[in-house]
Amino acid sequence: MRNTFIAMSLATIILALTGVAAYGPEILIKGLTAGGKMFLEMVPLMIAALVFAGMIQVLVSGETINKWMGRDSGIKGLLFGGVAGALIPGGPYVYYPIAASFLLSGAEIGTVMTFVLAKNLWTLTRLPVEFALLGPYLTLVRFGITLLFPILIGLFANLFFSGYADRVRNQIAGMQGKVKTKGSG
Amino acid sequence: MTFAFTILAVLASGASIFAYTKGDGSHVRGFRIAGSTFVNMLPLLFMAFLLAGFMQVVIPPELIRSWLGGEAGLRGVLIGCLVGILIPGGPYIAFPIIASIYNAGAGLGPVIACITAWAMWGSVTKIVFEITLIGYWFTVLRLCLVLLFPPFAGMIAAVFF
Repeated sequence: MRNTFIAMSLATIILALTGVAAYGPEILIKGLTAGGKMFLEMVPLMIAALVFAGMIQVLVSGETINKWMGRDSGIKGLLFGGVAGALIPGGPYVYYPIAASFLLSGAEIGTVMTFVLAKNLWTLTRLPVEFALLGPYLTLVRFGITLLFPILIGLFANLFFSGYADRVRNQIAGMQGKVKTKGSG
Repeated sequence: MTFAFTILAVLASGASIFAYTKGDGSHVRGFRIAGSTFVNMLPLLFMAFLLAGFMQVVIPPELIRSWLGGEAGLRGVLIGCLVGILIPGGPYIAFPIIASIYNAGAGLGPVIACITAWAMWGSVTKIVFEITLIGYWFTVLRLCLVLLFPPFAGMIAAVFF
């Protein structure tokens, strides 16, 4: 966590300095304003997402998650994760807290991977923008080619990286301030 | 944005009310998890937004656009992928840039590679949020798994469409 913060600060500073070298010092104000504005716009969205993610952790029992998204859910779990990903609106500050909650409650790594990738590739709220700006042909070809990617990758992750999930879960638990919750029944 | 907030607010309040009606203090625990996550991640989140802001102003769309001029074939597809990860922000920022690349004459393959890389590899700003919110071990696995898909999607588009 501390290392991530240091790395991210360094990246920001390097990028800011590159900007200053290329465009002059007023880029600092522009960057701070752009970042600050985004931050303020996203805070309400993020708070709603975090509350929802928190409630998932206490409301949805380990068995329920297991049944729908866990080890024995198989292809049904992948489809469920995919549909959830396609339907949930909002950016990464929304779906990553929810994905983290799924994992902590016992969802399989591949199911959560499918959820994230379906959000990236299938997301319904983005479709109108893509359609309007790039036209129906390109949108359909893009959608058609990438349609199966989330399921295929989720399947692959479940087959080969099941054991890796605990490493991910431990890290999330640490990041959430060590409130380990396995879902309550 | 308002639409997204409305849906999330309905989901969040619906879940909270449901937790409250269980009558066992579930809602308090849910709020506590949300609060502790938020407080723990706030410094990192703030830095993530700052980084995203600088990406937006330091890397101008014109520069990105100029790279994909008349490129085609595998080279075009690979450049398209690289352009995809450099495009900052969500769909409302990214798609106008991608559309301008397409309208400037880039082929179907590079443009689809670009969209797929932006979506699947994730623009750099998205990866920053991912590391902040779900941890780098998840990011590492996800990036390894999706590595080949954007060039693959671009090549299929270039060859068959």
